[in-house]
Amino acid sequence: MKERVTYILSRVLELVITLLIVSLLTFAAFSIIPGDTASVLLGINASPAQLEALREKLGLNDPLWYRYLSWLKGAFTGDLGDSTAFGKPVAELIVSRLPVTFGLSFLSLILVLVISYPSAVISSGKPGKFWDQFFSVIGHVSFAIPPFVLSLISILVTSKIFGYFGVGKYVEPSKDFFGYVYCLLLPAFCVAVPKIAMAFKFLRASILTEKNNDYVRTSKSRGLSNIKIMFRHILPNSNVSAITALSIILSDLLGGSLIVEQVFNLPGLGRLLLQAIGRRDFPLISGIVFYLAAMMVIVYFLADILMNLCDPRLRKNGGNI
Amino acid sequence: MPKKKISPYYIVGGAFLAVIIIACILSLLGVGPSPLKTNSADKLLPPSASHLMGTDNMGRDLFARVLSASKYTLLISVAGVSVALVLGTIAGMLAGYFGGIWDRIIMLLGNSIMCFPGILLALMAVAVWGPSLFNVIWALGLVFAPTFARVYRTEVIKIKERDYILNAKILGVKPLRIIAVHIFPNAFTQIIPAVVIGLANMTLSESAMSYIGLGVQPPKASYGKILSDAQSYISTAPWLIIFPSLMLVIYILGLYFISEGIRGDR
Repeated sequence: MKERVTYILSRVLELVITLLIVSLLTFAAFSIIPGDTASVLLGINASPAQLEALREKLGLNDPLWYRYLSWLKGAFTGDLGDSTAFGKPVAELIVSRLPVTFGLSFLSLILVLVISYPSAVISSGKPGKFWDQFFSVIGHVSFAIPPFVLSLISILVTSKIFGYFGVGKYVEPSKDFFGYVYCLLLPAFCVAVPKIAMAFKFLRASILTEKNNDYVRTSKSRGLSNIKIMFRHILPNSNVSAITALSIILSDLLGGSLIVEQVFNLPGLGRLLLQAIGRRDFPLISGIVFYLAAMMVIVYFLADILMNLCDPRLRKNGGNI
Repeated sequence: MPKKKISPYYIVGGAFLAVIIIACILSLLGVGPSPLKTNSADKLLPPSASHLMGTDNMGRDLFARVLSASKYTLLISVAGVSVALVLGTIAGMLAGYFGGIWDRIIMLLGNSIMCFPGILLALMAVAVWGPSLFNVIWALGLVFAPTFARVYRTEVIKIKERDYILNAKILGVKPLRIIAVHIFPNAFTQIIPAVVIGLANMTLSESAMSYIGLGVQPPKASYGKILSDAQSYISTAPWLIIFPSLMLVIYILGLYFISEGIRGDR
């Protein structure tokens, strides 16, 4: 018990430090820019007096550490000020775009799980045989297709064969939930495909390693069926090591969603980020980047803790088996 | 000893890579029409003998543009991975060899960089510093550095316990010399698969950045940019999507096959 508490405390400390470094990286990027926000906002024709007034208003004349601390406070209280391009609070803009980006990432995560698990189980059943080779070849190829290229190709194919698949249309979840899922399905699939291959590869390898363990041979000699051994013994053990892999996959899915949104014209965070970049709206860019990264920091933290609860061996050796 | 059979992964992967490298060489030699020359009479022509891959909406020859794009794809992936490799090597060696507080600081920094999903950190860097070939290379290099640092750190920790390192220490060899002369060459062979995969991932990131307009800037051609320009003509001129996609996938797949081959040899 004591072990567990010290472990969790050290992880929490690490979480806080990581969040601080992430915030520092985000903030630093915008403080070392050539030319400051005021001159970007006012353009090249601004008079020095105007520039000075705006700098004062935005707090750009304060010392750097003070600006960082007030930005950090804003970030943690959800108040990052107003977007310079849209004139609305940054937090409000971000929240309004969440259903698209999170919906897309979540849907693609479901697709990854639903497709990679069965194929890995089938594939590892008889390694080297037809189905294993079949899934492995498909895995290699889908690993190599960038999600945005797959999106373009799927738009091309679906528009040629099926006419129209709701490309470019977005339905609010509050209006029509099934319509919402339907319009995100194809984009989610495009985001998921390379990660399905990654999850498949990982699960297949970890199932094959588990199979070599003595307890599997013992269970077999006790007369347990292969299916029972797989679901009762092998899969639960593989799941523990899959937790970390899945958290990394989630991060990639999120990153992929930001790009694929652009191809399918979905009004998500990716589009907002690009608009913000195009109009050099630094409060909004830093807000989006920081919150997404902070979310991943927390996901990795939770994955670590979860894995630890499942596998006590990890606690003794400081996180390594 | 019987001669070892070369894995089919190497053959297929090598053939795929050869396609891109030949395309790059042809582009450097200036073979065929100029990738920049516009011709309003030849807009959106399908593939034919005079335009092998057809033409785009400005009447530019797609074949020439695809050749030219392969040049930038190769350049960015190799240069970006080199940046990442240099940063990652230094960080990973220091963390692995000295351990303790160095290890803690470097790994925390690396983990923090890895927490930014996908290419978000590179996008932010390019947003701030402006999109240019140089900025894309160092931004992606920074994003990929922690991956290499991790591999190096693990290797160095393994190697530094070996007898010959201990002997060198006893003989009074300075730590930097031990790292440079004894550890680095031994760890380097272990990092080669990571480098090959890194090239592929770098290309994936660069093409996505170019697609959303924050990577290679026009008039330079890149697969991502060609594809984003082609999107408006997706139903009328599908060849504008098909050929650049194919080239991009061939390059990445070639790299993956080579890395599979290396893995199989071990």
